Amino acid sequence: MGTAALLALAGGVALAVWDQSPRDAAALLSLSLPDTSGRQQSLAQWRGKVVVVNFWATWCVPCREEMPEFVKIQRELGPKGLQFVGIAVDQVEKVEQFASELNLNYPALIGGYAAIELSKTLGNEVSALPFTIVISRKGTVARTQLGAFDATKLRSTIDSLL
Amino acid sequence: MRTEWRSLILHALGVTVFTLVAPASAQVHPLAPEKAFRFSARALDPHTVEARFIIADGYYLYRDKLHFAVEPAASGLVTPSLPKGKMKEDQFFGRMETYRGNLIVNLTLPGTTPGQKVVVQAESQGCADLGICYPPNTQRVTVPLPAAGSAPTPQDDAPRKQWFK
Repeated sequence: MGTAALLALAGGVALAVWDQSPRDAAALLSLSLPDTSGRQQSLAQWRGKVVVVNFWATWCVPCREEMPEFVKIQRELGPKGLQFVGIAVDQVEKVEQFASELNLNYPALIGGYAAIELSKTLGNEVSALPFTIVISRKGTVARTQLGAFDATKLRSTIDSLL
Repeated sequence: MRTEWRSLILHALGVTVFTLVAPASAQVHPLAPEKAFRFSARALDPHTVEARFIIADGYYLYRDKLHFAVEPAASGLVTPSLPKGKMKEDQFFGRMETYRGNLIVNLTLPGTTPGQKVVVQAESQGCADLGICYPPNTQRVTVPLPAAGSAPTPQDDAPRKQWFK
């Protein structure tokens, strides 16, 4: 009887896990943060696009290292409906300086620690950077990445959603 | 025999569940900052506190982001001299100094009274070699100061106590 119960439990758990519905990115998309000019930008303005939200900071070397690739992908796939959004946990002056050095072609918003706290609810348990969330056109979380996002994996995730 | 089978099935079940819920991509799993950068402090004498960071392998702290404060303010913390770290050339910020392994900083407190308690606050910011950085992190420790003329308090058990956190 013990073994049968265990197998039933295994079956039940497997079913429950398989049935996971995609996570809603509503909380993230309803954020409103200032850009480097101080103007409030609501993430909701990009609903319907494939949105890649990247939490970063100039004091985070691995963050800076992956951004040139983001600029490249934005340039290529922007016309097809892709939108990168950077949320910097950082000082405006430093963000502006780095953004201009990189010729950043997507918005750099300034988020405080509240923004990092929000990333916790999406799986960033230790509040680390970089943390990237890929959101589908329907507003669901397609994928999250803690640490550098491998370019091939990022492109294939985006391609499958465009 | 039966008990062994049961534990085997439970084990297999656990592995299956873990594989199903684990994220699809190759994710990194960094330590929580309090575990990556274990902070402790102990009194050496009524006016000297030894602050210590035990930095886990594969992790490092930035010297310029390391700040200490001691409460009450009357303790009169003298700006501590920090040990020499390793230099790293950064494209954006220029030369950066980092610490790995054990970091010990002596804090001089001319204004303290023997036998009182002080709170030592350490603010630090670090990264992991596996490719992530933490936001600045604040850790606080209460340190009882010895009465005049007594021996330094023994090394704190802190790491062991944190196993169950």
